[in-house]
Amino acid sequence: MKGRVMADFHRAAVWSRNNLRKIGERALPWLAPVALLVVWQLASSSGRLPSRFLPSPRAIVKSFIELSVSGELWTHVRVSTMRALSGLAVGGGLGLILGLLTGSFRWAEMLLDTTLQMIRNIPALALIPLVILWFGIDESAKVFLVALGVFFPIYINTFHGIQSVDHGLLEMGRTYGLSGWALYREVILPGALPSILVGVRFSLGFMWVMLIVAETISARSGIGYMTMNARDFMQTDVMVVGILLYALLGKAADLLSKGLERHWLRWHWAYQQVR
Amino acid sequence: MSTVLALRETLMRQILADGRQYSRGVAVTIEDVSIAFDGRTVLEHFNVEIAAGEFVAIVGRSGCGKSTLLRSIVGLETPQKGTISLGTSKHVRPDVRIMFQDSRLLPWKRILQNVTLGLGATFVPHAEKVLAQVGLADRAHDWPATLSGGQRQRVALARALVHDPSLLLLDEPLGALDALTRIEMQELIEDLWWNRGFTAFLVTHDVAEAITLADRVILIESGRVVLDEFVDLPRPRARGSVRFAALEDRILQRVLQHRAMAIDARGARASTEENR
Ligand SMILES: Nc1ncnc2c1ncn2[C@@H]1O[C@H](COP(=O)(O)OP(=O)(O)OP(=O)(O)O)[C@@H](O)[C@H]1O
Ligand SMILES: [Mg+2]
Repeated sequence: MKGRVMADFHRAAVWSRNNLRKIGERALPWLAPVALLVVWQLASSSGRLPSRFLPSPRAIVKSFIELSVSGELWTHVRVSTMRALSGLAVGGGLGLILGLLTGSFRWAEMLLDTTLQMIRNIPALALIPLVILWFGIDESAKVFLVALGVFFPIYINTFHGIQSVDHGLLEMGRTYGLSGWALYREVILPGALPSILVGVRFSLGFMWVMLIVAETISARSGIGYMTMNARDFMQTDVMVVGILLYALLGKAADLLSKGLERHWLRWHWAYQQVR
Repeated sequence: MSTVLALRETLMRQILADGRQYSRGVAVTIEDVSIAFDGRTVLEHFNVEIAAGEFVAIVGRSGCGKSTLLRSIVGLETPQKGTISLGTSKHVRPDVRIMFQDSRLLPWKRILQNVTLGLGATFVPHAEKVLAQVGLADRAHDWPATLSGGQRQRVALARALVHDPSLLLLDEPLGALDALTRIEMQELIEDLWWNRGFTAFLVTHDVAEAITLADRVILIESGRVVLDEFVDLPRPRARGSVRFAALEDRILQRVLQHRAMAIDARGARASTEENR
Protein backbone atom coordinates (compact mmCIF):
# COMPACT_ATOMS: atom_id res chain seq x y z
CA MET A 1 0.00 0.00 0.00
CA LYS A 2 2.66 2.39 1.06
CA GLY A 3 4.76 1.32 -1.91
CA ARG A 4 1.94 2.17 -4.29
CA VAL A 5 1.46 5.60 -2.79
CA MET A 6 5.16 6.21 -3.18
CA ALA A 7 5.02 5.03 -6.76
CA ASP A 8 2.08 7.33 -7.50
CA PHE A 9 3.89 10.20 -5.89
CA HIS A 10 6.97 9.45 -7.93
CA ARG A 11 4.99 9.27 -11.14
CA ALA A 12 3.28 12.57 -10.39
CA ALA A 13 6.65 14.18 -9.77
CA VAL A 14 8.05 12.87 -13.05
CA TRP A 15 4.91 13.97 -14.87
CA SER A 16 5.04 17.49 -13.54
CA ARG A 17 8.76 17.75 -14.22
CA ASN A 18 8.23 16.66 -17.83
CA ASN A 19 5.38 19.12 -18.23
CA LEU A 20 7.44 21.93 -16.78
CA ARG A 21 10.18 21.21 -19.25
CA LYS A 22 7.68 21.20 -22.11
CA ILE A 23 6.22 24.53 -21.02
CA GLY A 24 9.73 25.91 -20.68
CA GLU A 25 10.62 24.82 -24.20
CA ARG A 26 7.50 26.49 -25.57
CA ALA A 27 8.07 29.70 -23.64
CA LEU A 28 11.76 30.19 -24.23
CA PRO A 29 11.57 31.58 -27.79
CA TRP A 30 9.07 34.21 -26.60
CA LEU A 31 11.29 35.49 -23.84
CA ALA A 32 13.33 37.92 -25.95
CA PRO A 33 10.40 39.54 -27.84
CA VAL A 34 8.42 40.03 -24.63
CA ALA A 35 11.46 41.54 -22.90
CA LEU A 36 11.95 43.87 -25.85
CA LEU A 37 8.32 45.00 -25.65
CA VAL A 38 8.64 45.66 -21.91
CA VAL A 39 11.83 47.68 -22.37
CA TRP A 40 10.23 49.60 -25.25
CA GLN A 41 7.13 50.41 -23.20
CA LEU A 42 9.27 51.49 -20.21
CA ALA A 43 11.44 53.71 -22.41
CA SER A 44 8.36 55.35 -23.93
CA SER A 45 6.50 55.97 -20.68
CA SER A 46 9.63 57.34 -18.98
CA GLY A 47 9.96 59.81 -21.85
CA ARG A 48 13.37 58.58 -23.00
CA LEU A 49 11.85 57.53 -26.34
CA PRO A 50 9.86 60.48 -27.77
CA SER A 51 6.60 59.42 -29.39
CA ARG A 52 7.20 61.52 -32.51
CA PHE A 53 10.18 59.19 -33.09
CA LEU A 54 8.52 55.90 -32.13
CA PRO A 55 5.20 55.55 -30.31
CA SER A 56 4.84 53.27 -27.29
CA PRO A 57 3.44 49.76 -27.81
CA ARG A 58 0.39 50.79 -25.80
CA ALA A 59 -0.27 53.73 -28.14
CA ILE A 60 0.04 51.46 -31.14
CA VAL A 61 -2.49 48.98 -29.74
CA LYS A 62 -4.83 51.83 -28.85
CA SER A 63 -4.61 53.33 -32.31
CA PHE A 64 -5.16 49.89 -33.87
CA ILE A 65 -8.34 49.42 -31.84
CA GLU A 66 -9.61 52.89 -32.69
CA LEU A 67 -8.96 52.47 -36.40
CA SER A 68 -10.66 49.10 -36.55
CA VAL A 69 -13.67 50.21 -34.52
CA SER A 70 -14.21 53.19 -36.80
CA GLY A 71 -13.96 50.82 -39.78
CA GLU A 72 -11.33 52.94 -41.50
CA LEU A 73 -8.71 50.22 -41.11
CA TRP A 74 -10.79 47.55 -42.83
CA THR A 75 -11.54 49.79 -45.79
CA HIS A 76 -7.84 50.31 -46.36
CA VAL A 77 -7.01 46.65 -45.84
CA ARG A 78 -9.72 45.66 -48.31
CA VAL A 79 -8.51 48.10 -50.95
CA SER A 80 -4.91 46.97 -50.60
CA THR A 81 -5.81 43.28 -50.65
CA MET A 82 -7.94 43.75 -53.75
CA ARG A 83 -5.04 45.48 -55.52
CA ALA A 84 -2.67 42.72 -54.54
CA LEU A 85 -5.04 39.98 -55.66
CA SER A 86 -5.92 41.62 -58.99
CA GLY A 87 -2.23 42.09 -59.73
CA LEU A 88 -1.56 38.48 -58.78
CA ALA A 89 -4.41 37.23 -60.95
CA VAL A 90 -3.29 39.22 -64.00
CA GLY A 91 0.49 38.78 -63.68
CA GLY A 92 0.40 35.27 -62.24
CA GLY A 93 -2.20 34.08 -64.73
CA LEU A 94 -0.17 35.43 -67.62
CA GLY A 95 3.06 34.00 -66.23
CA LEU A 96 1.42 30.59 -65.81
CA ILE A 97 -0.06 30.53 -69.30
CA LEU A 98 3.12 31.73 -71.01
CA GLY A 99 5.26 29.39 -68.88
CA LEU A 100 3.07 26.45 -69.84
CA LEU A 101 3.28 27.48 -73.49
CA THR A 102 7.04 27.95 -73.68
CA GLY A 103 7.64 24.88 -71.51
CA SER A 104 5.46 22.64 -73.65
CA PHE A 105 6.00 23.84 -77.20
CA ARG A 106 9.36 24.26 -78.80
CA TRP A 107 8.04 26.95 -81.19
CA ALA A 108 6.67 29.00 -78.30
CA GLU A 109 10.00 28.78 -76.51
CA MET A 110 11.86 29.92 -79.62
CA LEU A 111 9.39 32.70 -80.17
CA LEU A 112 9.03 34.10 -76.66
CA ASP A 113 11.62 32.92 -74.18
CA THR A 114 14.58 35.05 -75.24
CA THR A 115 12.44 38.19 -75.28
CA LEU A 116 10.98 37.47 -71.87
CA GLN A 117 14.41 36.70 -70.42
CA MET A 118 15.63 40.06 -71.71
CA ILE A 119 12.74 41.94 -70.17
CA ARG A 120 13.37 40.09 -66.93
CA ASN A 121 16.72 41.81 -66.60
CA ILE A 122 15.02 45.19 -66.20
CA PRO A 123 14.32 45.79 -62.51
CA ALA A 124 10.56 46.24 -62.23
CA LEU A 125 10.93 49.20 -59.89
CA ALA A 126 13.02 51.06 -62.49
CA LEU A 127 9.90 51.20 -64.63
CA ILE A 128 7.96 53.31 -62.12
CA PRO A 129 8.46 56.67 -63.91
CA LEU A 130 7.21 55.14 -67.17
CA VAL A 131 4.30 53.45 -65.43
CA ILE A 132 3.22 56.76 -63.91
CA LEU A 133 3.49 58.35 -67.33
CA TRP A 134 1.34 55.63 -68.89
CA PHE A 135 -1.29 55.02 -66.26
CA GLY A 136 -1.12 58.19 -64.17
CA ILE A 137 -1.56 57.44 -60.50
CA ASP A 138 -4.86 55.58 -60.58
CA GLU A 139 -5.66 51.93 -59.79
CA SER A 140 -4.33 50.45 -63.00
CA ALA A 141 -0.80 51.72 -62.31
CA LYS A 142 -0.69 49.83 -59.01
CA VAL A 143 -2.21 46.66 -60.44
CA PHE A 144 0.26 46.85 -63.32
CA LEU A 145 3.24 47.12 -60.97
CA VAL A 146 2.07 44.18 -58.87
CA ALA A 147 1.37 42.13 -61.98
CA LEU A 148 4.86 42.91 -63.27
CA GLY A 149 6.38 41.81 -59.98
CA VAL A 150 4.59 38.46 -59.82
CA PHE A 151 4.84 37.61 -63.51
CA PHE A 152 8.47 36.53 -63.72
CA PRO A 153 8.78 34.23 -60.71
CA ILE A 154 5.72 32.31 -61.86
CA TYR A 155 6.75 32.31 -65.53
CA ILE A 156 10.31 31.09 -64.90
CA ASN A 157 9.33 28.37 -62.45
CA THR A 158 6.47 27.11 -64.60
CA PHE A 159 8.79 26.93 -67.62
CA HIS A 160 11.47 25.06 -65.69
CA GLY A 161 8.91 22.82 -64.00
CA ILE A 162 7.54 21.64 -67.33
CA GLN A 163 10.98 21.22 -68.86
CA SER A 164 12.27 19.14 -65.98
CA VAL A 165 9.42 16.62 -65.82
CA ASP A 166 10.96 13.15 -65.49
CA HIS A 167 11.60 11.84 -69.00
CA GLY A 168 11.11 8.23 -67.90
CA LEU A 169 7.61 9.01 -66.60
CA LEU A 170 6.72 10.70 -69.89
CA GLU A 171 7.87 7.62 -71.80
CA MET A 172 5.88 5.41 -69.48
CA GLY A 173 2.76 7.57 -69.89
CA ARG A 174 3.00 7.39 -73.65
CA THR A 175 3.45 3.61 -73.75
CA TYR A 176 0.41 3.28 -71.51
CA GLY A 177 -1.72 5.02 -74.07
CA LEU A 178 -1.71 8.59 -72.75
CA SER A 179 -1.30 11.43 -75.20
CA GLY A 180 -2.38 15.02 -75.68
CA TRP A 181 -4.40 16.47 -72.84
CA ALA A 182 -4.50 13.21 -70.86
CA LEU A 183 -0.70 13.03 -70.79
CA TYR A 184 -0.62 16.69 -69.80
CA ARG A 185 -3.08 16.25 -66.96
CA GLU A 186 -1.75 12.98 -65.56
CA VAL A 187 2.00 13.41 -65.98
CA ILE A 188 3.24 16.83 -67.10
CA LEU A 189 1.21 19.19 -64.89
CA PRO A 190 1.61 17.20 -61.64
CA GLY A 191 5.31 16.82 -62.41
CA ALA A 192 5.71 20.57 -62.85
CA LEU A 193 3.52 21.49 -59.88
CA PRO A 194 6.23 21.54 -57.17
CA SER A 195 8.23 24.01 -59.23
CA ILE A 196 5.16 26.11 -60.07
CA LEU A 197 4.31 26.38 -56.37
CA VAL A 198 7.85 27.54 -55.60
CA GLY A 199 7.19 30.29 -58.16
CA VAL A 200 3.95 31.19 -56.38
CA ARG A 201 5.76 31.46 -53.04
CA PHE A 202 8.37 33.79 -54.53
CA SER A 203 5.80 35.87 -56.35
CA LEU A 204 3.77 36.45 -53.18
CA GLY A 205 6.84 38.08 -51.67
CA PHE A 206 7.22 40.33 -54.73
CA MET A 207 3.50 41.05 -54.68
CA TRP A 208 3.66 42.86 -51.32
CA VAL A 209 6.90 44.67 -52.12
CA MET A 210 5.47 46.07 -55.35
CA LEU A 211 2.21 47.00 -53.66
CA ILE A 212 3.95 48.83 -50.82
CA VAL A 213 6.07 50.80 -53.26
CA ALA A 214 3.12 51.63 -55.48
CA GLU A 215 0.90 52.72 -52.59
CA THR A 216 3.65 54.75 -50.97
CA ILE A 217 4.28 56.73 -54.13
CA SER A 218 0.71 57.67 -54.74
CA ALA A 219 -2.66 56.51 -53.53
CA ARG A 220 -5.95 57.86 -52.31
CA SER A 221 -6.81 54.79 -50.27
CA GLY A 222 -5.18 51.63 -49.01
CA ILE A 223 -2.70 50.85 -46.29
CA GLY A 224 0.07 52.81 -47.99
CA TYR A 225 -2.16 55.86 -48.21
CA MET A 226 -3.10 55.54 -44.56
CA THR A 227 0.57 55.37 -43.58
CA MET A 228 1.71 58.27 -45.75
CA ASN A 229 -1.26 60.37 -44.66
CA ALA A 230 -0.39 59.71 -41.02
CA ARG A 231 3.14 60.89 -41.69
CA ASP A 232 1.81 64.28 -42.78
CA PHE A 233 0.11 64.64 -39.39
CA MET A 234 2.99 63.10 -37.44
CA GLN A 235 0.74 60.23 -36.27
CA THR A 236 3.56 57.78 -35.73
CA ASP A 237 1.23 55.26 -34.07
CA VAL A 238 -0.92 54.99 -37.21
CA MET A 239 2.23 54.68 -39.32
CA VAL A 240 3.42 51.73 -37.25
CA VAL A 241 -0.05 50.13 -37.48
CA GLY A 242 0.20 50.37 -41.28
CA ILE A 243 3.64 48.79 -41.31
CA LEU A 244 2.46 45.97 -39.05
CA LEU A 245 -0.56 45.41 -41.30
CA TYR A 246 1.69 44.85 -44.30
CA ALA A 247 3.69 42.36 -42.24
CA LEU A 248 0.53 40.51 -41.18
CA LEU A 249 -0.85 40.34 -44.72
CA GLY A 250 2.47 39.05 -45.99
CA LYS A 251 2.50 36.37 -43.34
CA ALA A 252 -1.09 35.39 -44.15
CA ALA A 253 -0.22 35.02 -47.85
CA ASP A 254 2.77 32.89 -46.96
CA LEU A 255 0.68 30.62 -44.75
CA LEU A 256 -1.91 30.28 -47.49
CA SER A 257 0.65 29.22 -50.07
CA LYS A 258 2.18 26.76 -47.62
CA GLY A 259 -1.26 25.31 -47.06
CA LEU A 260 -1.76 24.91 -50.81
CA GLU A 261 1.59 23.15 -51.09
CA ARG A 262 0.71 20.86 -48.24
CA HIS A 263 -2.52 19.92 -49.96
CA TRP A 264 -1.35 19.62 -53.57
CA LEU A 265 1.98 18.01 -52.80
CA ARG A 266 0.76 15.41 -50.31
CA TRP A 267 2.57 12.75 -52.28
CA HIS A 268 5.73 14.81 -52.01
CA TRP A 269 5.35 15.08 -48.26
CA ALA A 270 4.98 11.35 -48.06
CA TYR A 271 8.22 11.09 -50.02
CA GLN A 272 10.06 13.37 -47.62
CA GLN A 273 8.79 11.51 -44.59
CA VAL A 274 10.16 8.24 -45.90
CA ARG A 275 13.56 9.73 -46.53
CA MET B 1 17.18 -22.75 -89.69
CA SER B 2 14.64 -25.14 -91.16
CA THR B 3 15.16 -27.56 -88.28
CA VAL B 4 14.46 -24.71 -85.86
CA LEU B 5 11.23 -23.87 -87.65
CA ALA B 6 10.20 -27.49 -87.74
CA LEU B 7 10.90 -27.79 -84.06
CA ARG B 8 8.73 -24.78 -83.37
CA GLU B 9 5.95 -26.18 -85.51
CA THR B 10 5.85 -29.32 -83.43
CA LEU B 11 6.04 -27.32 -80.25
CA MET B 12 3.16 -25.09 -81.28
CA ARG B 13 1.09 -28.06 -82.28
CA GLN B 14 1.82 -29.59 -78.94
CA ILE B 15 0.64 -26.50 -77.12
CA LEU B 16 -2.41 -26.14 -79.37
CA ALA B 17 -3.31 -29.67 -78.40
CA ASP B 18 -3.60 -28.35 -74.84
CA GLY B 19 -6.53 -26.28 -76.03
CA ARG B 20 -5.04 -22.81 -75.62
CA GLN B 21 -6.30 -19.91 -77.65
CA TYR B 22 -4.04 -17.73 -79.69
CA SER B 23 -6.43 -14.95 -80.53
CA ARG B 24 -4.63 -12.28 -78.51
CA GLY B 25 -1.01 -12.91 -79.28
CA VAL B 26 0.87 -11.08 -81.97
CA ALA B 27 3.91 -12.27 -83.90
CA VAL B 28 7.13 -10.26 -83.71
CA THR B 29 9.66 -10.22 -86.50
CA ILE B 30 12.99 -8.51 -85.98
CA GLU B 31 15.01 -8.34 -89.15
CA ASP B 32 18.63 -7.32 -89.39
CA VAL B 33 18.27 -4.66 -86.72
CA SER B 34 21.29 -2.56 -85.75
CA ILE B 35 21.26 -0.02 -82.94
CA ALA B 36 24.19 2.09 -81.83
CA PHE B 37 24.54 4.89 -79.29
CA ASP B 38 27.15 7.51 -80.12
CA GLY B 39 28.90 5.09 -82.44
CA ARG B 40 28.95 2.30 -79.83
CA THR B 41 27.10 -0.68 -81.25
CA VAL B 42 24.56 -2.33 -78.98
CA LEU B 43 22.63 -4.57 -81.37
CA GLU B 44 24.15 -5.60 -84.70
CA HIS B 45 22.39 -7.48 -87.51
CA PHE B 46 19.98 -8.77 -84.92
CA ASN B 47 17.48 -11.31 -86.23
CA VAL B 48 14.73 -13.09 -84.40
CA GLU B 49 11.26 -14.31 -85.22
CA ILE B 50 8.70 -14.82 -82.49
CA ALA B 51 5.45 -16.66 -83.10
CA ALA B 52 2.12 -15.31 -81.87
CA GLY B 53 1.51 -16.32 -78.28
CA GLU B 54 5.06 -17.46 -77.69
CA PHE B 55 6.78 -16.83 -74.36
CA VAL B 56 10.37 -15.73 -74.92
CA ALA B 57 12.98 -15.24 -72.24
CA ILE B 58 15.96 -13.04 -72.98
CA VAL B 59 19.15 -13.54 -71.01
CA GLY B 60 22.54 -11.97 -71.29
CA ARG B 61 25.11 -10.04 -69.34
CA SER B 62 24.41 -6.62 -67.97
CA GLY B 63 24.72 -4.01 -70.70
CA CYS B 64 24.34 -6.45 -73.60
CA GLY B 65 21.29 -4.64 -74.93
CA LYS B 66 18.28 -6.45 -73.47
CA SER B 67 16.46 -3.29 -72.42
CA THR B 68 17.40 -1.65 -75.71
CA LEU B 69 15.80 -4.56 -77.57
CA LEU B 70 12.53 -4.21 -75.63
CA ARG B 71 12.55 -0.43 -76.01
CA SER B 72 12.97 -0.72 -79.76
CA ILE B 73 10.06 -3.17 -79.96
CA VAL B 74 7.72 -0.59 -78.32
CA GLY B 75 9.18 2.12 -80.53
CA LEU B 76 11.10 4.05 -77.87
CA GLU B 77 14.34 3.50 -79.79
CA THR B 78 14.58 3.69 -83.55
CA PRO B 79 16.99 1.22 -85.13
CA GLN B 80 19.54 2.72 -87.49
CA LYS B 81 19.07 -0.31 -89.70
CA GLY B 82 16.57 -3.09 -90.11
CA THR B 83 12.87 -3.44 -89.33
CA ILE B 84 10.73 -4.59 -86.46
CA SER B 85 7.22 -5.63 -87.39
CA LEU B 86 4.42 -6.66 -85.09
CA GLY B 87 1.63 -8.89 -86.26
CA THR B 88 0.86 -9.77 -89.84
CA SER B 89 -1.11 -6.69 -90.74
CA LYS B 90 1.00 -3.56 -90.97
CA HIS B 91 -1.99 -1.24 -90.56
CA VAL B 92 -3.40 -2.15 -87.21
CA ARG B 93 -1.06 -1.20 -84.39
CA PRO B 94 -1.32 -3.96 -81.80
CA ASP B 95 -1.43 -2.85 -78.18
CA VAL B 96 1.89 -3.38 -76.52
CA ARG B 97 2.66 -2.86 -72.84
CA ILE B 98 6.10 -2.68 -71.36
CA MET B 99 7.09 -2.97 -67.75
CA PHE B 100 10.24 -0.91 -67.34
CA GLN B 101 13.27 -2.06 -65.41
CA ASP B 102 12.77 0.86 -63.00
CA SER B 103 9.17 0.79 -61.81
CA ARG B 104 8.25 4.30 -63.06
CA LEU B 105 5.20 4.81 -60.88
CA LEU B 106 3.67 8.28 -60.88
CA PRO B 107 4.53 9.58 -57.41
CA TRP B 108 1.45 11.84 -57.35
CA LYS B 109 -1.02 9.03 -57.88
CA ARG B 110 -2.01 6.51 -55.28
CA ILE B 111 -1.20 2.87 -55.97
CA LEU B 112 -4.63 1.96 -57.32
CA GLN B 113 -4.70 5.01 -59.63
CA ASN B 114 -1.25 4.07 -60.86
CA VAL B 115 -2.49 0.62 -61.76
CA THR B 116 -5.52 1.97 -63.64
CA LEU B 117 -3.45 4.56 -65.52
CA GLY B 118 -4.83 5.04 -69.01
CA LEU B 119 -7.94 2.99 -68.20
CA GLY B 120 -11.39 4.17 -67.19
CA ALA B 121 -12.89 4.01 -63.73
CA THR B 122 -14.70 0.84 -64.80
CA PHE B 123 -11.39 -0.99 -64.47
CA VAL B 124 -11.08 -0.31 -60.74
CA PRO B 125 -12.51 -3.68 -59.57
CA HIS B 126 -10.26 -5.50 -62.02
CA ALA B 127 -7.24 -3.46 -60.90
CA GLU B 128 -8.03 -4.27 -57.29
CA LYS B 129 -8.10 -7.93 -58.16
CA VAL B 130 -4.71 -7.79 -59.87
CA LEU B 131 -3.29 -5.79 -56.94
CA ALA B 132 -4.50 -8.57 -54.66
CA GLN B 133 -2.79 -11.10 -56.92
CA VAL B 134 0.55 -9.34 -56.50
CA GLY B 135 -0.13 -9.24 -52.75
CA LEU B 136 -0.70 -5.52 -52.35
CA ALA B 137 -4.46 -5.21 -51.90
CA ASP B 138 -4.03 -3.41 -48.58
CA ARG B 139 -1.74 -0.76 -50.07
CA ALA B 140 -4.15 0.35 -52.80
CA HIS B 141 -4.63 3.81 -51.29
CA ASP B 142 -1.03 4.57 -50.32
CA TRP B 143 1.45 6.80 -52.11
CA PRO B 144 4.19 5.06 -54.12
CA ALA B 145 6.81 6.83 -51.98
CA THR B 146 5.78 4.73 -49.01
CA LEU B 147 6.46 1.38 -50.72
CA SER B 148 9.63 -0.67 -50.73
CA GLY B 149 11.55 -1.29 -53.95
CA GLY B 150 10.13 -4.77 -54.40
CA GLN B 151 6.60 -3.57 -53.67
CA ARG B 152 6.95 -0.85 -56.29
CA GLN B 153 8.09 -3.46 -58.77
CA ARG B 154 5.00 -5.53 -58.03
CA VAL B 155 2.77 -2.48 -58.56
CA ALA B 156 4.45 -1.91 -61.92
CA LEU B 157 3.85 -5.56 -62.75
CA ALA B 158 0.19 -5.20 -61.79
CA ARG B 159 -0.08 -2.09 -63.96
CA ALA B 160 1.27 -4.01 -66.94
CA LEU B 161 -1.00 -6.98 -66.28
CA VAL B 162 -4.36 -5.14 -65.92
CA HIS B 163 -4.15 -4.21 -69.55
CA ASP B 164 -5.03 -6.98 -71.91
CA PRO B 165 -2.20 -6.48 -74.37
CA SER B 166 -1.37 -8.61 -77.34
CA LEU B 167 2.32 -8.20 -76.57
CA LEU B 168 3.71 -7.87 -73.08
CA LEU B 169 7.33 -6.92 -72.48
CA LEU B 170 8.72 -7.43 -68.99
CA ASP B 171 12.14 -5.99 -68.20
CA GLU B 172 13.45 -7.84 -65.16
CA PRO B 173 10.10 -7.70 -63.41
CA LEU B 174 11.17 -9.82 -60.46
CA GLY B 175 14.70 -8.55 -59.91
CA ALA B 176 14.20 -7.12 -56.44
CA LEU B 177 12.06 -9.89 -54.96
CA ASP B 178 12.85 -12.57 -52.42
CA ALA B 179 12.86 -16.20 -53.57
CA LEU B 180 9.38 -16.98 -52.26
CA THR B 181 7.57 -13.95 -53.67
CA ARG B 182 9.50 -14.50 -56.87
CA ILE B 183 8.06 -17.97 -57.33
CA GLU B 184 4.54 -16.66 -56.62
CA MET B 185 4.95 -13.90 -59.19
CA GLN B 186 6.33 -16.36 -61.75
CA GLU B 187 3.23 -18.49 -61.29
CA LEU B 188 1.03 -15.41 -61.69
CA ILE B 189 2.74 -14.39 -64.92
CA GLU B 190 2.56 -17.93 -66.31
CA ASP B 191 -1.14 -18.23 -65.41
CA LEU B 192 -2.06 -14.94 -67.05
CA TRP B 193 -0.04 -15.73 -70.14
CA TRP B 194 -1.57 -19.19 -70.34
CA ASN B 195 -5.12 -17.94 -70.01
CA ARG B 196 -4.89 -14.87 -72.19
CA GLY B 197 -2.46 -16.05 -74.81
CA PHE B 198 -0.52 -12.82 -75.37
CA THR B 199 3.00 -12.90 -76.72
CA ALA B 200 5.47 -12.36 -73.89
CA PHE B 201 9.07 -11.19 -73.66
CA LEU B 202 10.77 -11.61 -70.32
CA VAL B 203 14.21 -10.19 -69.63
CA THR B 204 15.85 -11.93 -66.72
CA HIS B 205 19.25 -12.58 -65.21
CA ASP B 206 18.10 -15.87 -63.78
CA VAL B 207 18.48 -18.79 -66.18
CA ALA B 208 16.27 -21.02 -64.02
CA GLU B 209 13.51 -18.41 -64.18
CA ALA B 210 13.85 -18.27 -67.96
CA ILE B 211 13.51 -22.04 -68.24
CA THR B 212 10.57 -22.14 -65.81
CA LEU B 213 8.51 -19.67 -67.81
CA ALA B 214 9.61 -19.54 -71.42
CA ASP B 215 8.99 -21.55 -74.55
CA ARG B 216 12.26 -20.28 -75.80
CA VAL B 217 15.40 -18.85 -74.23
CA ILE B 218 17.46 -16.37 -76.22
CA LEU B 219 20.97 -15.44 -75.18
CA ILE B 220 22.30 -12.12 -76.44
CA GLU B 221 26.00 -11.47 -76.69
CA SER B 222 27.98 -8.87 -78.63
CA GLY B 223 24.76 -7.56 -80.13
CA ARG B 224 23.60 -10.88 -81.57
CA VAL B 225 21.60 -13.96 -80.71
CA VAL B 226 24.22 -16.53 -79.76
CA LEU B 227 21.83 -19.12 -78.37
CA ASP B 228 18.20 -19.80 -79.19
CA GLU B 229 17.06 -22.75 -77.13
CA PHE B 230 13.56 -24.23 -77.18
CA VAL B 231 12.26 -25.45 -73.88
CA ASP B 232 9.97 -28.39 -74.50
CA LEU B 233 9.30 -29.31 -70.91
CA PRO B 234 5.69 -29.83 -69.84
CA ARG B 235 4.14 -27.04 -67.74
CA PRO B 236 4.09 -26.36 -64.87
CA ARG B 237 7.80 -27.04 -64.81
CA ALA B 238 9.49 -28.60 -61.85
CA ARG B 239 12.92 -27.19 -61.12
CA GLY B 240 14.04 -30.43 -59.60
CA SER B 241 13.60 -32.51 -62.76
CA VAL B 242 16.59 -33.98 -64.54
CA ARG B 243 15.73 -32.45 -67.92
CA PHE B 244 15.29 -29.03 -66.33
CA ALA B 245 18.70 -29.26 -64.71
CA ALA B 246 20.30 -30.50 -67.93
CA LEU B 247 18.88 -27.58 -69.91
CA GLU B 248 19.91 -25.06 -67.29
CA ASP B 249 23.38 -26.55 -67.31
CA ARG B 250 23.59 -26.36 -71.10
CA ILE B 251 22.62 -22.69 -71.19
CA LEU B 252 24.97 -21.77 -68.39
CA GLN B 253 27.77 -23.68 -70.13
CA ARG B 254 27.08 -21.64 -73.22
CA VAL B 255 27.30 -18.37 -71.31
CA LEU B 256 30.53 -19.47 -69.68
CA GLN B 257 31.96 -20.77 -72.92
CA HIS B 258 31.59 -17.34 -74.46
CA ARG B 259 33.26 -15.79 -71.51
CA ALA B 260 36.03 -18.33 -71.73
CA MET B 261 36.46 -17.49 -75.40
CA ALA B 262 36.62 -13.81 -74.57
CA ILE B 263 39.24 -14.45 -71.91
CA ASP B 264 41.19 -16.69 -74.30
CA ALA B 265 41.14 -14.00 -76.93
CA ARG B 266 42.36 -11.42 -74.44
CA GLY B 267 45.02 -13.83 -73.18
CA ALA B 268 46.16 -14.53 -76.73
CA ARG B 269 46.35 -10.82 -77.48
CA ALA B 270 48.33 -10.21 -74.32
CA SER B 271 50.81 -13.00 -75.12
CA THR B 272 51.34 -11.82 -78.69
CA GLU B 273 52.01 -8.36 -77.32
CA GLU B 274 54.51 -9.88 -74.90
CA ASN B 275 56.25 -11.71 -77.72
CA ARG B 276 56.74 -8.51 -79.61
N1 LIG C 1 20.14 6.35 -74.30
C1 LIG C 1 21.36 5.78 -74.34
N2 LIG C 1 22.44 6.52 -74.67
C2 LIG C 1 23.67 5.96 -74.73
N3 LIG C 1 23.92 4.68 -74.46
C3 LIG C 1 22.89 3.89 -74.13
C4 LIG C 1 21.56 4.40 -74.03
N4 LIG C 1 20.74 3.39 -73.68
C5 LIG C 1 21.53 2.31 -73.53
N5 LIG C 1 22.82 2.59 -73.80
C6 LIG C 1 23.95 1.65 -73.78
O1 LIG C 1 23.56 0.50 -74.46
C7 LIG C 1 24.07 -0.65 -73.83
C8 LIG C 1 22.95 -1.64 -73.57
O2 LIG C 1 22.08 -1.08 -72.63
P1 LIG C 1 20.81 -1.87 -72.09
O3 LIG C 1 20.11 -0.98 -71.13
O4 LIG C 1 20.03 -2.36 -73.24
O5 LIG C 1 21.48 -3.08 -71.33
P2 LIG C 1 20.79 -4.30 -70.58
O6 LIG C 1 21.15 -5.54 -71.31
O7 LIG C 1 19.36 -4.03 -70.36
O8 LIG C 1 21.58 -4.29 -69.20
P3 LIG C 1 21.04 -4.60 -67.72
O9 LIG C 1 20.95 -6.07 -67.60
O10 LIG C 1 22.12 -4.05 -66.85
O11 LIG C 1 19.75 -3.91 -67.57
C9 LIG C 1 24.79 -0.18 -72.58
O12 LIG C 1 26.17 -0.19 -72.82
C10 LIG C 1 24.29 1.22 -72.39
O13 LIG C 1 25.32 2.02 -71.85
MG1 LIG D 1 18.22 -3.53 -68.80
